[in-house]
Amino acid sequence: MVLLFSTDPDGICHIETSGLDGESNLKQKQVVRRYAEQDSEVDPEKFSSRIECESPNNDLNRFRGFLEHSNKERVGLSKENLLLRGCTIRNTEAVMGIVVYAGHETKAMLNNSGPRYKRSKLERRANTDVLWCVLLLVVMCLTGALGHGIWLSRYENIPFFNIPEPDGHSLSPVLAGFYMFWTMIILLQVLIPISLYVSIEIVKLGQIYFIQSDVDFYNEKMGSTVQCRALNITEDLGQIQYLFSDKTGTLTENKMVFRRCSVAGFDYCHEENAKRLESYQEAASEDEDSADTPSGSLSNMVKPRALSCRTVHSRPLGSISSNHLTGSCFALESREGASEVPHSRQAAFSSPIETDVVPDTRLLDKFSQITPLLFTPTDETIPDPPLETLYIIDFFIALAICNTVVVSAPNQPRQKVGLSSLRGIPIKSLEEIKNLFQRLSVRRSSSPSLASGKEPSGVPNAFVSRLSLFNRMKPASPVEEEISQTSESLQGSDDSACPTEIEKQNSDAGIANGKVEALPGQPLTSSLCYEAESPDEAALVYAARAYQCTLQSRTPEQVVVDFAALGPLTFQLLHILPFDSVRKRMSVVVRHPLSNQVVVYTKGADSAIMELLSVASPDGPGLEKQQMMIREKTQKHLDDYAKRGLRTLCIAKRVMSDTEYAEWLRNHFLAETSIDNREELLLESAMRLENKLTLLGATGIEDRLQEGVPEAIEALHKAGIKIWMLTGDKQETAVNIAYACKLLEPNDKLFVLNTESKNACEMLMDTILKELQKNPASPEQASLSASLHQPPPTLQGSGLRAALIITGKTLEFALQESLQKQFLELTARCQAVVCCRATPLQKSEVVKLVRSHLRVMTLAIGDGANDVSMIQVADIGIGISGQEGMQAVMASDFAVSQFRHLSKLLLVHGHWCYTRLSNMILYFFYKNVAYVNLLFWYQFFCGFSGTSMTDYWVLIFFNLLFTSAPPVIYGVLEKDVSAETLMQLPELYRSGQRSEAYLPLTFWITLLDAFYQSLVCFFVPYYTYQGSDIDIFTFGNPLNTAALFVILLHLVIESKSLTWIHMLVIAGSILCYFCFALAFGAMCVTCNPPSNPYWIMQEHMADPVFYLVCVLTTCVALLPRFIYRVLQGSLFPSPILRAKHLDRLPAEERIEALKKWRGTGQMDQLTSKYADHSAVESERIPIYDPSAVFAVMSATACAVEKGNLPVCETALDSDFSETKASGMAGPSKD
Amino acid sequence: MKRKCQDYESRLPDNTAVKQQQLPAFRLQLTASEILSGFFAIGLFCLGMGIILLLSAKSIKEVEINYTEKCATCAKLREEATNFDKECNCSISFYLPQKMEGNVYLYYKLYGFYQNLYRYILSRSNIQLVGADVKDVRNCAPFRTSDNGLPIAPCGAIANSMFNDTIVLWYNFNSSTHIRVPMVRTETAWWTDKYVKFQNPAFQNLSSAFAGTAKPPNWPKPVYELDEKDPGNNGFINDDFIVWMRTAAFPNFKKLYRRLHRIGNFTEGLPAGSYSFIINYNFPVSRFQGQKAVVLSTLTWSGGSSLFLALAYLVTGAVTLLASFSMMALHLKLKERKTFFLQ
Repeated sequence: MVLLFSTDPDGICHIETSGLDGESNLKQKQVVRRYAEQDSEVDPEKFSSRIECESPNNDLNRFRGFLEHSNKERVGLSKENLLLRGCTIRNTEAVMGIVVYAGHETKAMLNNSGPRYKRSKLERRANTDVLWCVLLLVVMCLTGALGHGIWLSRYENIPFFNIPEPDGHSLSPVLAGFYMFWTMIILLQVLIPISLYVSIEIVKLGQIYFIQSDVDFYNEKMGSTVQCRALNITEDLGQIQYLFSDKTGTLTENKMVFRRCSVAGFDYCHEENAKRLESYQEAASEDEDSADTPSGSLSNMVKPRALSCRTVHSRPLGSISSNHLTGSCFALESREGASEVPHSRQAAFSSPIETDVVPDTRLLDKFSQITPLLFTPTDETIPDPPLETLYIIDFFIALAICNTVVVSAPNQPRQKVGLSSLRGIPIKSLEEIKNLFQRLSVRRSSSPSLASGKEPSGVPNAFVSRLSLFNRMKPASPVEEEISQTSESLQGSDDSACPTEIEKQNSDAGIANGKVEALPGQPLTSSLCYEAESPDEAALVYAARAYQCTLQSRTPEQVVVDFAALGPLTFQLLHILPFDSVRKRMSVVVRHPLSNQVVVYTKGADSAIMELLSVASPDGPGLEKQQMMIREKTQKHLDDYAKRGLRTLCIAKRVMSDTEYAEWLRNHFLAETSIDNREELLLESAMRLENKLTLLGATGIEDRLQEGVPEAIEALHKAGIKIWMLTGDKQETAVNIAYACKLLEPNDKLFVLNTESKNACEMLMDTILKELQKNPASPEQASLSASLHQPPPTLQGSGLRAALIITGKTLEFALQESLQKQFLELTARCQAVVCCRATPLQKSEVVKLVRSHLRVMTLAIGDGANDVSMIQVADIGIGISGQEGMQAVMASDFAVSQFRHLSKLLLVHGHWCYTRLSNMILYFFYKNVAYVNLLFWYQFFCGFSGTSMTDYWVLIFFNLLFTSAPPVIYGVLEKDVSAETLMQLPELYRSGQRSEAYLPLTFWITLLDAFYQSLVCFFVPYYTYQGSDIDIFTFGNPLNTAALFVILLHLVIESKSLTWIHMLVIAGSILCYFCFALAFGAMCVTCNPPSNPYWIMQEHMADPVFYLVCVLTTCVALLPRFIYRVLQGSLFPSPILRAKHLDRLPAEERIEALKKWRGTGQMDQLTSKYADHSAVESERIPIYDPSAVFAVMSATACAVEKGNLPVCETALDSDFSETKASGMAGPSKD
Repeated sequence: MKRKCQDYESRLPDNTAVKQQQLPAFRLQLTASEILSGFFAIGLFCLGMGIILLLSAKSIKEVEINYTEKCATCAKLREEATNFDKECNCSISFYLPQKMEGNVYLYYKLYGFYQNLYRYILSRSNIQLVGADVKDVRNCAPFRTSDNGLPIAPCGAIANSMFNDTIVLWYNFNSSTHIRVPMVRTETAWWTDKYVKFQNPAFQNLSSAFAGTAKPPNWPKPVYELDEKDPGNNGFINDDFIVWMRTAAFPNFKKLYRRLHRIGNFTEGLPAGSYSFIINYNFPVSRFQGQKAVVLSTLTWSGGSSLFLALAYLVTGAVTLLASFSMMALHLKLKERKTFFLQ
């Protein structure tokens, strides 16, 4: 629906799209330009414009079209004007619009392509074997048909045998054989395990039930546990070979903590902040013991409240007022008791750890120099204030306003300053605008401090709100001075951390008191919540607030920042160029209220910003030099930050003259209104704006690793899973995080693939491949040669582990068809691959490539919308229910709350599910073949006439009742190795990767065993009763009974653990069989011809021969398998069996044995290390240091690598002289 | 506590043994000694059982005389269906070297007669046989009604093909004295068959009970004339008929025909000596290359004379013992290396 009218005076409509993409934050949509200015409601009947838009498509984030008014004036339409079906309108009374897509053409419907049906590898395997069973059935039926034909031809004319049809004709042998084929199919159809599929589904349900009820997956903080969204691929969890992980929010917490910043070339370490973080961690751990213990941490006092809010957060918040919210929080808390849930004190987002920033003392000192005096002279003749101070001011203003944070005050209805479009004054000259603004800013700056204690929300007073602004969108359109103020009640808060703010601010203020003058009357104003699209932004805004530079409110037209020494500043927001992944930066264009200049504040990735810095400063060579210095220093700081694994952002600004701005605006307007290639034009326009920037500084935000990530990655590595990290972050950050989470080991050999052209990429890959081939024991070969008898980790045993770092640009080349093979070969030899600067599309392409070309099981894990495509493509997609919305979870098959849960999910549940299900499937095949063959053998003795020696009901119930529950229980509860051992010995996972439990050979061995058992089961009674006076169904009875025992005891032999449930079910099955046989035998006098089980069971129960036959049959049938199992256990135990043996040792011995097990692994590692001694001489590994050496070399230089270089960093084709170094850097500490 | 959980941690799974898959598992992982002793036990049990069975099977005396060849003339006569009304008797004499003690049973045995064909066994009417409705012949195709449209009683292919030789055993006390060995023709069928599954229609007069029905085409006389001397053995509850109706599992089978009536000379069983069978040859077997035999046999607790079960037990026992010995050797050898696991 194209939005034409909104009751909001700004023409804005707030929507929530949780129904579409799961994001619950508010989004703004804009009324179509020109309609926004109309006061009156749009009268649908008078709507005469024409809308032309693109044909329906499924891209939620794109909409192009235009609206042509009757006067041929065209207005472009964008996604900002489109309300999608499925979203909820919030905070807006009413909207009006015109529907452009309806029914199945809506984007919501087009996106709903239905879930991709994933079928597990095991099931595909089983399906082929079902086909084999079909083939077997056909062969058996053909045998029957042929046999019957031949048999009948011998007795064709004997009415005893060839019983004529009712009409007196007797069948010809050929026709009888043909009929017999179908009779046999009906008789033997049990061979096709149709019940297998039902059982598989039941087993999977059971498995999922157990996965979901595992307490280890419970996340106390979020009150969530694992969610299994796909019901049919649990067993794939046990066969994963490649893991693709996102970094942010997956490996890391995605709790952005402001750590450091560098302003004007000075690094501010924020040591107190670091200390606070540490103490916070300690406090958190202390709190686990006792919630009441005050831990001296600043944020501690806040935490209980944060906790209580968190608990409510999980409920639908909707329109609960915040007071109510707090009330219920308290109620809950008091009921819970303090020690009940100590963990939950860490809030999910906007937790104290994020929002509290302790200012750096040095920086605060500098802040104290800031006085309003710096700006008091309203004309431009101010004496130059110290440049650094200006930089600091600008820096923090940029932090505070260069974002899309939504401010909301939770405690009272938000006062919204609506500045509707101004009309009436045709602004022909920019001069006028300037005048207007100067006037305003004079009044502004001369006004006293605005906030009063009684105006708690920090809303600018009426005077401010009556500011007249010209419409930022339409310099050419008539502007009219009109002021309106609308209060809009923004009910409740979507951010439950809000109630904590007051206290936090208090604590902040308490700290800051000694150093800066805390502003009186301000504390209440800080009860603000920031809702940001990304946590980075929020972190920066919170950081700015720590320096008393508080973002007070934000409307589409203006931003109010409460700057400590300067008082509230109202920035007129001229433009926002939102963040996109191509530009990797965002900008805001504001009119500075003090200097009254148009200022562009840009925030973005360092690489993006650094390129755009102005080379020549307009202010003179002195400044230029200073700029250069700042730039160099900042770069150094940035490198330093990156080395510490911080996310870096650069802040820059540009002061534009009004004429420049006007010109840009004109172009930009053109770009915005164009319909074709609008995106390109907008990008171009942004590029025009964002250049000649002046660097202000940089920030370092820490994205803390999640708890237990290194351990999990280590375990998964040991389990033989290759882990790829696909991230959009820059190389240095990515590599450092990779080291931190043990994805890369210190003595890994790193290959960096960073080229600017395809050829270079090819050459470099060639070189690296050769390099790797020289190394005789490459990991891949080692893992291939790993045999059953060497359970110790084989990968570590090989001399060198290689790791590949590849950048997004190079990845693009590598993914091209011609290089795919080489790339895969290369990655196959690397233990870990880190793809940095990868776009979401690249992520999914990488997964697709690996999945389809290497034919391996892949798992993708991610938390954000950018991982969705990757999650959908992989065999198993796991979403982390974190902070970046729910899209990843929506798209995923399983959702966990933390990365570390992955290790248990895969190593324990994956292994269990896989072994259980594969064993159950094999058992099912065995069971059916073994039982059906009994019927088949009998055909040889009844002229292939399709007689069954079993009563039909017994035949049906045998599969349905007597032998159905035990395999299901087996499939759900079987536990070959205990969870602890599986976690302690991740190597055991490899058996699943190699599908050891269900190889084609296993299937045929199982069938063979089934044949053997059925032969025994048939021929022991046959020879026993041969030539006797036994009748058909009396003969069938011991057969059935023996088969039941054989089949059930076979399960007992196969299962590795028997619980009382197993026992109960097996005993129940046997009991059920006998009860049924006895009852049926007692009641069925004339029923069910021709078979008549009357009194047969009772007769047999009194016959010793019956028991003797059953015992003998069972023994003979099961002996081979039992002996095989025993011999396997003693002569060639699989690692699984050995691990199982560990389980039953007493605790102490077990620890010893585990040590021994690992010890043998290390021994192997040592020996192999000595083997390729030359390759590993140096064990000391330098810390990866990208800035250490940048030697410019050619690609081939890599081959000249001297002997033992643990770090081989290669980069190619330096396009940018300073940073893009190419060639190969030697180790810095060797 | 519980309420709190519901309020606050409703999503926290219960920490119970079942849900956490921590159920105590029975150690099926047996130790070496357990397994070995188990194996030895099984082996010894099988051996012992085999020996017992062998002994009991040896104690059974059995005489089987195949009279297909010996009554070749009769067989030839019966090949022609037109000769159905011609009588043909055949005498077979044999010598019993040892006396047969205890109960002696007389069987007839058929070779190559498929009584287990699917359409054959279908062709009967249990409702008719239980006496509920004499005219219920629904399942009896193709022998449902006679040519004149009367329902056949007993109907169906099984009844129609009933074995109708009469076998009489004579004891040749000496060359001149021939004593007919007394035989009981009842209690050869299962008790439940005779008293539950097979019932004559409830009429005073048996022949009137079967009024309106026809005899099976192959039968010389109607069903109510099977044993006119003993009303308890006539009609559907005739033991020979019931035994025949219990269709044999294999093409070679024997069926119980008579029991020795232990009176006079035969209170101990059958004494050693010379005997002869006088067989009224009616049942044609040569048409389907079948054979007929008479069997005299005693019975023990373990059933018939089959040696198979005994031998199978012996072999199984031997193999199991062998396996357990070799496993013990293995165990002892591996024990030195301390890497012995079983199961």
